[in-house]
Amino acid sequence: MDMVYKGEHLLPGELGKVFVILSFGAALLSAISYYFAATNTDKLDKSWLRMARIAYRINTISILGVGVQLFYILYNNYFEYHYAWSYTSRSLPVYYLVSGFWNGQEGGFLLWTFWQAVLGNVLISRAGSWEKPVMSVVALSQVVLATMLLGIDVFGARLGSSPFLLLRESGIEAPIFKQADYLSYIKDGQGMNPLLQNYWMIIHPPTLFLGLASVVVPFAYAIAGLWQRRYKEWINQAIPYALFASLILGVGVIMGSLWAYESLNFGGFWAWDPVENASIFPWLTLIGGLHVMIVYKNSGHSYFTATLLVLISFILVLYTSFLSRSGVLGETSVHAFTDLGMFSQLVTYILIFLVLSVWLLVSRWKEMPISKKDEETYSREFWMFVGAVFLGLSCFHLVFITSIPVWNKAFGTKIAPPIDLVGHYNVIQGAFAMVITILTGFTQFLKYKKTDVTRFFITTLIYFALAAAITVLVGYLTGLYKLHFVFMLVLFGSVYAFLANGQVLVDALKGKFKLAGSAVAHIGFALMLIGALISAGTREVVSQTDGAGINIPGFDKASGMGSPRENIMIYKNEPKRMGKFMITYLGDSVAAPNRYFKVNYKELDDKGKVVDEFLLKPNVLTNPQMGSEPSPVPATKHYLFHDLYTHVTALPVATAKNPNTGDAQAAADHGQENDETLYDEPVPHQVGVGDTIRYRDGYIVLKSLSREVQVQNIPLGPNDAAIGANLEVVAHDRTFKAAPVYMIKNKAVLTFPRKVDDAGLKLALTKIIPNENKVEIMVYQQPLNKRPYIVMRALDFPFINLLWAGTVIMIIGFILSISRRNKELKTTSAVKAQSVAENA
Amino acid sequence: MKKSSIVGLVVIAIAISVIIATYSKSSTYGSFSDARQTTEELRVVGQLDKAKELYYDATKDANYFSFFVKDNKGEECKVIFTGTKPQDFEKSEQIVLTGKMTGKEFHASYILMKCPSKYTKDKIEVTEAKAKTAEI
Repeated sequence: MDMVYKGEHLLPGELGKVFVILSFGAALLSAISYYFAATNTDKLDKSWLRMARIAYRINTISILGVGVQLFYILYNNYFEYHYAWSYTSRSLPVYYLVSGFWNGQEGGFLLWTFWQAVLGNVLISRAGSWEKPVMSVVALSQVVLATMLLGIDVFGARLGSSPFLLLRESGIEAPIFKQADYLSYIKDGQGMNPLLQNYWMIIHPPTLFLGLASVVVPFAYAIAGLWQRRYKEWINQAIPYALFASLILGVGVIMGSLWAYESLNFGGFWAWDPVENASIFPWLTLIGGLHVMIVYKNSGHSYFTATLLVLISFILVLYTSFLSRSGVLGETSVHAFTDLGMFSQLVTYILIFLVLSVWLLVSRWKEMPISKKDEETYSREFWMFVGAVFLGLSCFHLVFITSIPVWNKAFGTKIAPPIDLVGHYNVIQGAFAMVITILTGFTQFLKYKKTDVTRFFITTLIYFALAAAITVLVGYLTGLYKLHFVFMLVLFGSVYAFLANGQVLVDALKGKFKLAGSAVAHIGFALMLIGALISAGTREVVSQTDGAGINIPGFDKASGMGSPRENIMIYKNEPKRMGKFMITYLGDSVAAPNRYFKVNYKELDDKGKVVDEFLLKPNVLTNPQMGSEPSPVPATKHYLFHDLYTHVTALPVATAKNPNTGDAQAAADHGQENDETLYDEPVPHQVGVGDTIRYRDGYIVLKSLSREVQVQNIPLGPNDAAIGANLEVVAHDRTFKAAPVYMIKNKAVLTFPRKVDDAGLKLALTKIIPNENKVEIMVYQQPLNKRPYIVMRALDFPFINLLWAGTVIMIIGFILSISRRNKELKTTSAVKAQSVAENA
Repeated sequence: MKKSSIVGLVVIAIAISVIIATYSKSSTYGSFSDARQTTEELRVVGQLDKAKELYYDATKDANYFSFFVKDNKGEECKVIFTGTKPQDFEKSEQIVLTGKMTGKEFHASYILMKCPSKYTKDKIEVTEAKAKTAEI
């Protein structure tokens, strides 16, 4: 029997599904039409082209339609849709709805296909004679991406995963779906993972996806060049797009690491996690490809390498998507997606483009303009080629290790990645980085075709010596020399690349300004490496505690992420020494979903004098709907030359035995008399005015006694009396006031104790001893382990700003290069048009 | 011979050495009994024994966390980690420990958890929602 469900909003989902199917159909039509347009020999017949363009535009509009419908569902909190229910909640601010949009895998594919649609439209207006073959490839990729969103069953297998799946159809089994009004029980969505509620999550995914999507453009040009036998021309056309893709992809990756640094708690900006590695595979090969494309343009060498690297880059984009979405990384990665049942579909996607690339390379092998002549040894083209090959090798190593789970799955083996994985990556990738940076340096002193060897050697060696001197100095000052020698070599290479490209930049500013782009980008890259090297290599755990606590023999040798004894526990209002800081946990404040912990830092010099004081508020994010424990978010004090990075690693757990977290504390405050269990056995002190009571954390002074005390709502009769004790509590250099009251009302004695929570005290005036002119003060102390505390970890990252500054400089370099290559393209096409006109 | 061919040969040599270096350094997923027979660090895959106590008391030592894990062969062992309790540790379905055996305890230097997949989680959450409807 068909159930009629109440309260569902089915229209946006139905519309969305129609748009998804339309986008698929239009992309398919566009791809086929472009193919026929490209192979049509009748130059005057524009009908295929017209149809292809219209279909592509329909595809673009449908994708926008899908996006609008999905956003409409999220915006209106239609939790009958699985996507809205899984990733958003009513309390989520609108700007985070945007990141909810690409929270799921379906949203990721949508974003990807959207960017590809945009790029396609750019190509339609700009590609000219290249439009037909290039767009055939782009439209084909668009077809495959559209299938990822279909979510329909074809011959028993599910094709794609629809973002418009209803909650009751999503395979979740629950009895409420048997009721027509089930929706009235679903009050709110699961909410977004609090870690994603961060501004970086609004801009990082679109940037990364634009980067990944734009790799298709140079790929499509390479395929088109081979297919249409326009072997030489495609390279010039594709250079600006390859630059653009490398730029955006690089920026996207760096944004991801900034996000990790700012809001995740693994303590750094790069962890060699498989998902992170996967995002730089295509970047490495594309950068390599870009360099050999320029080599081919200037010298006619390295044609095959350029084509191969460009083709590989796109295949790696697809492989990246496969790795992070197929669930294959489950055992090695912390943040891979789980399998949505698209394993074989993702593999098919790779195979389609792999087979196409291989087939074209093989069938056109003999016709390719591969130079028969050998490059000169002292020529720029030869060493740029070597550099590109090393970039490829570096990528090969990353792919090889990251894919260990794939090898295990394919060959049925059970190999685990190297134990010290981070160290392994650092050393091997460091070796590649050294080679690449040195090449980035001296290749700039070489010219295309042939170079004056003596002059080259003199310049090279001068800079080598200078770089070596600086490396020794920097390595010694930062302590980098204590690490594996490879890192000193990387430092040397980077300093050398910086200096050599600095020289090129100075020359460029004097005249040949068009050369500035590459020099600036290389300088930025060198600075990035220096920054990453020093900050990650010589980062210091400020919160390291040694020896104290439960002793575990043989444990100090353990290393890696769980390095021993990196956490420090601090009680509220009890200052503790941490490195050169005196830190005090002052309290916490809640602004849902954040809970901030105020920690005061006093930086002390050798004599113990305070030289700097500041407040850091590391927080934890909670999401009750997701039922997970709070996620810590770091707080960082940024200096120009280093960062102090801190995050909370543990908090007291609220249990019946240990009710000292926020809520329990508040409850105890109200239930006045029921909080005895919170305190140690009270200690009575008999004191007169001016006397001092010493206790564990400081002392208490009885300042005065006063008769004019009022206790709320208790009127005093003529025979009644009330006495207040004005006490001053000094704990850890902080002063508090408290005035407990002793009252006789209707011949009964009442005491009104006062609490000083920040000092972990409760004070009561329990007896008046008129003969001795003394009173009895009862001191209740909170036992240490019931006092509020936090456990945190603090790291110092030296020179991390070099990494970010280098990134910005590299971006500038890329932009300069793109504008230069674009201008070149325009002048060459203008010259060509002119010569065509003259010939006619 | 062409220079690019020489470069090609060098590249192949490096690629092979990378593979060999990785293979010789790569470890295997083992069990606690494997760990007892070696002094090297290795990886153990297993499940958290949720019936036994997870011990972490920051007031005694902020860098000591102990728990019990049953490896894939069914053997159980006490594990000690010098750090804080990882977030949502109790919810883990599978744990990959990196470390070595010291005496009768396994000292982990690194813990990787596999948390329940989204779809199983969905199931739990909805049954909770159902419990609420029963009250009404």
